Amino acid sequence: MTRLLVFVAFFPAISFAQGVVDATGREIRVPAKVERVYAAGPPASVLVFAIAPDKLVGWTRAMRPHEAQFFDERYAKLPELGRLTGRGDTANVEVVLHSRADLIVDVGGTGASLAALASSVQQRTGIPYALFDGRIESTPATLRALGRLMGEVASAERLAAWFEDELRQAKERLARVKTQPLVYYGRGTAGLQTGGRGSINVEVLEFLGARNVAAEARAGLVTVPFEQVILWDPEVIFTTDPTFWKSVWGDPRWRAVRAVAARRVHLSPHLPFGWFDFPPGANRVLGIWWAGRLLHPKEFDVDLRAKTREFHRRFYHREPTPAQLDALLGEPGVVSR
Amino acid sequence: MKFQAKYLIAGAALVALTVIAFSVGRYPVAIADMLALLSGQAVAPNVETVVFQIRGPRVLGALLIGAALAAAGTAYQGMFRNPLVSPDILGVSSGAALGAILGIFLSLDILLTQLFAFAGGLAAVGLVYAVGARLRGHDPLLALVLTGVVIGTLLGSAIALLKYLADPYNQLPAITYWLLGSLAALSPREVLHALPLMLIGLAPMLLLRWRMNLLALPDDEARALGVDTRRLRALVIACATLMTASAVAISGIIGWVGLLIPHAARLLVGPDFGRLLPLAMLLGAAFLLAVDTLCRTLATIEIPPGVLTALIGTPFFLWLFALARRSW
Amino acid sequence: MLEVDALAFGFPDRVVGRDVTFKLARGEAMCVLGPNGGGKTTLFRTLLGLLEKHSGHIQLDGRDLSSLSRADIARRIGYVPQGHAAYFAYSVREMVLMGRTAHLGALATPGRRDREVAQGALEALGIAHLADKAVTDISGGERQLAIVARALAQDPGLLVMDEPTANLDFGNQVKVLEQVGRLRQRNISILFSSHDPDHAFLAADRALLLGEGRALEIGPPREVIRRDSLQRLYGVDVQVIAMEAGRHVCLPTLKHL
Repeated sequence: MTRLLVFVAFFPAISFAQGVVDATGREIRVPAKVERVYAAGPPASVLVFAIAPDKLVGWTRAMRPHEAQFFDERYAKLPELGRLTGRGDTANVEVVLHSRADLIVDVGGTGASLAALASSVQQRTGIPYALFDGRIESTPATLRALGRLMGEVASAERLAAWFEDELRQAKERLARVKTQPLVYYGRGTAGLQTGGRGSINVEVLEFLGARNVAAEARAGLVTVPFEQVILWDPEVIFTTDPTFWKSVWGDPRWRAVRAVAARRVHLSPHLPFGWFDFPPGANRVLGIWWAGRLLHPKEFDVDLRAKTREFHRRFYHREPTPAQLDALLGEPGVVSR
Repeated sequence: MKFQAKYLIAGAALVALTVIAFSVGRYPVAIADMLALLSGQAVAPNVETVVFQIRGPRVLGALLIGAALAAAGTAYQGMFRNPLVSPDILGVSSGAALGAILGIFLSLDILLTQLFAFAGGLAAVGLVYAVGARLRGHDPLLALVLTGVVIGTLLGSAIALLKYLADPYNQLPAITYWLLGSLAALSPREVLHALPLMLIGLAPMLLLRWRMNLLALPDDEARALGVDTRRLRALVIACATLMTASAVAISGIIGWVGLLIPHAARLLVGPDFGRLLPLAMLLGAAFLLAVDTLCRTLATIEIPPGVLTALIGTPFFLWLFALARRSW
Repeated sequence: MLEVDALAFGFPDRVVGRDVTFKLARGEAMCVLGPNGGGKTTLFRTLLGLLEKHSGHIQLDGRDLSSLSRADIARRIGYVPQGHAAYFAYSVREMVLMGRTAHLGALATPGRRDREVAQGALEALGIAHLADKAVTDISGGERQLAIVARALAQDPGLLVMDEPTANLDFGNQVKVLEQVGRLRQRNISILFSSHDPDHAFLAADRALLLGEGRALEIGPPREVIRRDSLQRLYGVDVQVIAMEAGRHVCLPTLKHL
């Protein structure tokens, strides 16, 4: 009897979901039912959408037609809410309030300034704001935490388990790799921007154990002199910029690099969200397979189409048609040449 | 010191700097290889690529851009009778920036983006001139400057808007990078495109260098001395804009050169445009070459030239100022 | 040399002066007198073609002013404006050389002959010793003389000087007035304005009184500069006293409180 009384007395407290601690160490308390989630950036959008597409309030940027084709129409047409710049712009905060979200989520950096900004927005809007780590290997944990916050534990668990399994498979194959090529990631139209050791932009490469020629540079985006690239002489070049990819073949300066001579310059697929770098979110698991196949064709002989179909089904809730797959994987530069 | 001696020293310094610039770089090129290349012998293909395709255009580009910006700054400082004027005062850089950013925003290829930048620079100044000329009843120079400031600000807000709308992962870094200015991506093609445009802009200024001195007088006096000031000013603006726009189109915005170098040259040889212009160009070329060579050799990563031009330029200028005994 | 007929002049939105009619022959000097803001400078700028006239005619050497190019005008008229701000440190010699511009082709630079003319102008004004100093380093009065030298270097038939003695010390004022005399002997016409009616007596053949928005009187100084005309022009009481050898001098009567 006493136990029942205690339980009844404390029921109101238990009916609020228990707080989850986010990646910045802040405790996030959410209402019992979370129906509307505001994803503050594309990596967050992908995860929230994957766990519970009906709970996503909107995209940070309206979908262009070539992106929208991969989603059910009702999801593609979700409103554009803009990025939470985090500078405390009144306009942005008003948009958040107007969205009547129960929870704000961001996935990416978790530094002190970002945490402070999150707290500030939370204070002003009264909406809990959770930050999670965007690194590839943290994705399963992030998924699980999000699941608890959103009240979608089962869905999140399925996704997290699958993701963990994919990473495990990749690592098994990696274990069999004997030599790692020298790789360069060229960003921007001139291809002279790259990421140093530990930058989130080259996470896929670092996961695959490739030797980043720019590893001596600090983390983050840096510009390098042309001569330096020639000196490094990478064997493989990855890029996300179609303009650069197109220009690299006719440019006599790039011919001095053996990757260009061997025609090993690869342009990453980018729809609906980039596979390699932007946004640096869960979508990069496809990038691991794609780049893995290009770097270690023997050990990574996976069916890329099948992987893509499965990822889309689980995360975007819609399988791409064969035609869409062809377009996605057949774009010039995506495989090679 | 006679001014001819000053020219000789500046010229010699420039030649020395050019030689040094050609010999240093992240990719090691032996002196023997350099000599072999000069005498037309074959060397390892990589060395040839580095020297002719990468270092060569970059060194030549630095010389060209430095000279062009210095010349434009010299012309404007004389014309506006104000030592604080830089080539950007009529909005050429803002216009070029807007053009380039539009190109990046629309994901155009490099050549088109540069063309947009060039056109944007010309259009901005054209607009400023057209509007400024309509403002009757005001000192024509003041009208130009005010219009330039207003339209420059307008363009600046358009740029800010585009930065806000740009894709933060892909386009925004490209935009930021362009705005910082850099000679890293210069290829022979860019230099070949910019060279004739700069020469076209330079030629009238060199030929009219005596008359340009009269622009330093109040308008009434210059006209009374027989100069059609309106036409001469229009010509000077056109030439300076052509030179600056072509420079900015291929290298982004590099500040300080157009402002500091004319001063330095004026401290050395005085305001007579005939003496001032060639020296300013020599100094501008040498300065930008020195800065850019440091930018590409100091570390593995590139340093934006705007950072070094200010860091190096300011003490160098103060030193000159302390040395010189004459005023402006 | 200069023929002005029924000239009305001013700014685009208002007329400053009218009824100006006179002829200035070679070697003649005319002094324009009038109160501050009376339009002396505006008149000069109109005669130089720097300002559009409202109505009337201006003819230079028999040709209408509007038909002449700026270079044509510059070869005929030298202008010494009131006040000269120096922005850049040109040397006095370089400044005087600028006067040769109208004689040079568009792309030419000064040659030996031009330098000789400039040197002559410097010597004529007694400032040859300042030739290599920067204009920013000399006094206002010396700068004024340099500007006069520059106007001289234009080799003009007419010199228009706006208050040429304004910033000069007494000695230099006298020298400039002497210079006017010498120039008249060289058959150069002089049109100058002054705030001091005595200068008209000292150096001019004729005087033009500019006040109340029009040319009130034009004629030899002895005739037009009288007590009543000065009262009308300046609003103060000035006695004009005749001295020996036909010289006149103005003596203002100061009101004592």
